[in-house]
Amino acid sequence: MTAALGAHKAGRRRLFLPFFLPAVSLYVLFLLVPTVATVVLGFTSWAGAGDTPRFTGLANFGELLASDSFRFSFLNTLLYIVVGGVGTFLLAFLFTMVLRDMRGGKTVRAILFFPNIVAPVALGMFFGIVLIFRPNRQGLVNFVLESFGIDAVKFLAPENVTWVVTGCLIWASAGFYITILMAAVDRIPPYLYEDADIAGASPWQKFRNITLPLTWDVIGVAGVLWTIGAIKIFELVFVLAGPGTYSPPIQSWTLGVYVFDRSFGTAGSPEYGMACAAAVVMIALVSVLVVMLRRMMRRDSVQF
Amino acid sequence: MRSTNGLVLAAALSLALTGCGGGTDAGGGGAAPLTLPGVDEYLNAPCPEVGTKPATDKEFTYWSMWTADEPQGKVLGKAIKCFTEKTGVKVNVQWLGRKLLTQNVAPALNTDTVPDLFDQDISQVKAAIVAPGGTQPVDDVLDYKIGEGDKTVRDVLPKSSYDIPQNKDANGKIFEIPYELLGNAWWYDKAKIKDFKAPATMADLFALFDKAKSDGMAAVSQDGDINFYNAYFFTQIAVRYLGAGGLEKAALDKSGAAWTSDPGLLKSAELVEKLAKGGYFIDGWDAAKFPQIQQRWADGDAAYLFVGSWGPSETREYLSKQGGDKGIEYASFQFPQPEGATHKVVEQLPIGFAVTAKAKHPEAAKAFIAYMLNKDILSGIPAVADNLTPRADLPVPDSLKDVKAALEAPGVEHAIFMDALDGLAAGKWVDNVFYPLNNDLLKGKITAKQFIDGLAAKQAEFWKSTNS
Repeated sequence: MTAALGAHKAGRRRLFLPFFLPAVSLYVLFLLVPTVATVVLGFTSWAGAGDTPRFTGLANFGELLASDSFRFSFLNTLLYIVVGGVGTFLLAFLFTMVLRDMRGGKTVRAILFFPNIVAPVALGMFFGIVLIFRPNRQGLVNFVLESFGIDAVKFLAPENVTWVVTGCLIWASAGFYITILMAAVDRIPPYLYEDADIAGASPWQKFRNITLPLTWDVIGVAGVLWTIGAIKIFELVFVLAGPGTYSPPIQSWTLGVYVFDRSFGTAGSPEYGMACAAAVVMIALVSVLVVMLRRMMRRDSVQF
Repeated sequence: MRSTNGLVLAAALSLALTGCGGGTDAGGGGAAPLTLPGVDEYLNAPCPEVGTKPATDKEFTYWSMWTADEPQGKVLGKAIKCFTEKTGVKVNVQWLGRKLLTQNVAPALNTDTVPDLFDQDISQVKAAIVAPGGTQPVDDVLDYKIGEGDKTVRDVLPKSSYDIPQNKDANGKIFEIPYELLGNAWWYDKAKIKDFKAPATMADLFALFDKAKSDGMAAVSQDGDINFYNAYFFTQIAVRYLGAGGLEKAALDKSGAAWTSDPGLLKSAELVEKLAKGGYFIDGWDAAKFPQIQQRWADGDAAYLFVGSWGPSETREYLSKQGGDKGIEYASFQFPQPEGATHKVVEQLPIGFAVTAKAKHPEAAKAFIAYMLNKDILSGIPAVADNLTPRADLPVPDSLKDVKAALEAPGVEHAIFMDALDGLAAGKWVDNVFYPLNNDLLKGKITAKQFIDGLAAKQAEFWKSTNS
């Protein structure tokens, strides 16, 4: 008996490395090493393959701080994370309140998830058509507005485009978070809701006292997922705010656009050092935000 | 199921969208004004002789800025085929597209697998390849024969297309031999603008715009989402005050004071302010996606359009895809000379061949450059690609005759597009300093004075904090 157990343990130990090493080495090779390299290159001036990185200390970061394009990129990214996040989660919560009781809720959920299947570039192009301002031949939205007697809106004008992108973002990502939150809601025993119904609770009260506390952990994880996803926002901005072939005006840039522009959008040789420095700021920002979020969401989990 | 239909629709829309705005399709399919004659004739014509043949090289490598199936690609394809047929030299060509400099050539510079020959416009080649020392001089090609008797490259190219500061390396040597020339102009449709008289003064120009407005059209179409299209108005006017290279000099002034010290700059900005505040731009120009606004010009919603010499081919392609049979009778004119401006300037952008510093077969590559300029080869650029060449003795597409005449007018100064401002500090100067202020000026949000003062202040700040 003990001998058999010992043999089993020894077998497991023998198998440990063959299973462990491939995963770890791939992870190190394709994630850890590039990340460390990015951080190191952030302190250099480097024009890409063939060029030797020249150590420049904190010069890249100094230039980032002083540059308008980076300031816009940073603030816009924060705006998308915070405003887009609040909007997305409000919408998601709203749906969790109604979807549970709704007939055909499963179908609605599938439809809401749908924008996630489409590549953001295609979404951006699609919104580009839908939101066109073109007197006499308006895009769909302005056409509808005008047929109700409302003045058409210049959605794609640079001063509006950040808010338009925020709206598109909420529309496109809410389905994903509804799906995650609803999976958690489905795990809540139905009798809790039935009890609440008998007690005459409103949908808001049910949400506040049952759904929210019992899905708290999942919401926390979803929040982290959102933050990580939102910090990379690039395609929607690139195609909606600009012509799609050249970088858009700096007022609409995000950190993702900044990194892309310095890597592939320069007029001369690429500035990978600057791009890496901006990427380091992205890593730092996402780390800070995730840690803050985890702190905020820390609570004793409710057993049920 | 409905959702699947939606996906297909979205995919189809995005496909349709990505389809537009690309290169030019000479095929078309509309009526006569929408198609180009002579494409098949050119491609099937016999190969001309090679003037200067390579003595030893049996092959060379060419990395191309074109794709094989676009019009210029077809012309180059024919040149390669003929060159091999006449000399036995094998050409290893890679069709890489417009991004080849930063994505392919520059990364290869410090390796041993460099191409012998590559092409792009001189601004981009200078910024990306010449600056790190990646090219060798091509001055000697000027004396190569082009296969038309004793004629050499020097005999057929106007000096203004290659002997310019923007086409010289650190040692003052020429790094590119041009085979295509871009210009820019105000475009209009002769069929729509009756009794047109080219403006001689800025007041005339504004009178043209006012007339268009009173005729019930918008005056000017402008794709406001492309920063550098928005920049043309100010730079076109300002180079006439400062002369070719003057704007670049002002932009490189570390203190920014150059903007306020030359009164011509403020005058230029005032003219742009007048353009902005006069309500001349078509409604919605600042809230659309390229190329929607130039398409509205093609549809006849606006009278004038300021873009490069690619304007006719792009709008012709759009009209032929619309399936209509009405073409545009293209005509164009240049900015008039503003009051008090002393430099008669025309903007151009030469596209040509450069040879890498480490080329293994420079001799064959250079022989090919000269061969490209043979009239029977080069005539494909106007005939197939609907574009201009630097040669003065080739047929010119009807739509580009005015631009060609402006480029070859006696006594003009030749400046590069935007006076090459877009290449400063790898593009960071325009992005951070110029474009935001220029866009605001063109939208009428700031005055000429605020624009100039803003440039001076932003520029000082910019050069203080920028490392390269």
